[in-house]
Amino acid sequence: MTIRTRLNLWYSLVLCGVAVVVIGAAAYHELVIEKHHRQHGVKSETELNNEDLLDILTWTVVPAVLLGVAGGWWLTRRTLAPVTELTDAVEKIRESNLGDKIPRSGNGDELDRLTEVFNATTARLADSFTRIREFTLHASHELKTPLTVLCGETETALRDESLTPPERERAASQLDELRRLTRIVDGLTLLAKADAGQVALKLEPVWFDDLVRDNFADAQILAEPLGIQVELAVCEKIAVRGDRHRLRQLLLNLADNAVKYNQPQGRVTMRLRRSGDAAELTIANSGPGIVPEKLPRVFDRFFRGDPAHSPSVDGCGLGLSIVQWIVSAHGGSVKIESVPAKTTTVMVRLPAGSAE
Amino acid sequence: MRVLVVEDERKTASFVRKALQAEGFAVDVCHNGDDALAAARATPFDGIVLDIMLPGRDGLGVLRQLRERKNATPILLLSARGEVNERIEGLNAGADDYLPKPFELAELVARVRALTRRSGENKSTLLRVADLTLDTVTHRAQRGEAGIELTAREYRLLEFLMRSPGRLCGRMMILEKVWDYDFDPGTNLVDVYIRRLREKIDANFESKLLHTVRGAGYLLKAQP
Repeated sequence: MTIRTRLNLWYSLVLCGVAVVVIGAAAYHELVIEKHHRQHGVKSETELNNEDLLDILTWTVVPAVLLGVAGGWWLTRRTLAPVTELTDAVEKIRESNLGDKIPRSGNGDELDRLTEVFNATTARLADSFTRIREFTLHASHELKTPLTVLCGETETALRDESLTPPERERAASQLDELRRLTRIVDGLTLLAKADAGQVALKLEPVWFDDLVRDNFADAQILAEPLGIQVELAVCEKIAVRGDRHRLRQLLLNLADNAVKYNQPQGRVTMRLRRSGDAAELTIANSGPGIVPEKLPRVFDRFFRGDPAHSPSVDGCGLGLSIVQWIVSAHGGSVKIESVPAKTTTVMVRLPAGSAE
Repeated sequence: MRVLVVEDERKTASFVRKALQAEGFAVDVCHNGDDALAAARATPFDGIVLDIMLPGRDGLGVLRQLRERKNATPILLLSARGEVNERIEGLNAGADDYLPKPFELAELVARVRALTRRSGENKSTLLRVADLTLDTVTHRAQRGEAGIELTAREYRLLEFLMRSPGRLCGRMMILEKVWDYDFDPGTNLVDVYIRRLREKIDANFESKLLHTVRGAGYLLKAQP
């Protein structure tokens, strides 16, 4: 049954109800007048009729209007309920659950058809996403073989004793760029695989504070040549359930960023503390910062926060995307706050676990 | 030392062969799994460099077959996928080492060398290169008469370099053995540590021990 038919049927039912009330009331009144006439004989009919009219209006039209409004309200709510359900379901669609189907009522009405169309659309979207993911994955795999060959040939060339110093310098510089390209391809492969759910984490209880202290030592070493002070202000003992290698990768990426995107003689402050049932790590640095309008995009792949600084900083542009993946794969969250030209703070929250 | 290189990509096979030959290895090359099995059965190699992605029988298949036949030749697996799971799978199947593509040639050569000389590794508790000594029990380092203070990480780095004196150690290999990183962090961590270590062991001495080979890695040896 279509909505139109349903609406027609329901509304005619309501109107019938209203009509019955009005006619009923009128008939009752007629009865009262007749009784009155019989008792007192015929008097000034017009006077009586005016009063009666007012009575009729109060006792029939008001309830009829109220009934009409209530019926209409009930009717639209009833009719629109499936639309609301559908809206709620569509609102929940994310890139991650594109494969999920919205349940259909199966009664063949317009909304059922709409649900079907929605499902087909999201299925096509899911398909496109999968294709893009597969493309990235295949592309990064395909790039690996020629990269291996290029790196290998360049390294072989560098071994040639007969190279002049300028030639050697050129080959070595080429090799540096090839290695950068290799890191980009590696990062891209990792992310493409993570998107496709192909990276398995080896979860185990890990003392997160131990990893942070270890990372603090490395950060100090990285910062030393640039005259940057690194401080581990707070480091509370806390365990998380995680993949040791990926967590170390996360920490090194963040520490490396905090040092790289800093000013000479700047500062980096690390804090690890328990906050509710989460391990909360903040890494603040005294870097140039990120302007507010660019802040939401810092986790995007290949996004550069400060184009003026990118030529001097040798990054692959995927560090923060990898950070975000590692954090969300551990059920945590990461955010960045920045006061341009003052401080930038990265905050990572991971669910705390027991060390057993 | 005789090494078998199993790699279907001709160019890769060719420069790997050249690099290993330049290091004094005798190198045989196969381009598919079945040939590799036959070659490994016919000749006792000192090591095998085995690509996982091969036409026909793949590298892991070759590895399992060899181990089933009690062939214990040290094997270095190469893979274009570079996945943690694959690394574990390979090592569980009996591989001795694993290197993801794209690799650095110096890295590969260093690993093949480590592989083929594994049995001859220096197991002594007092390591010595020229007048530099390192006691692996007390963690005390000394150059000549002067004691050297080392942090835990510097100690591990020095121990790693001193266990293979005169041999080139690639950046990735150092990250893997000293830091236990299974990823390329894209930082200059190793260079910075080497610089610090160099200040401690070489700065006050005429003859330098710690050398950098541009584009390849580091090595510790008595003569430059």
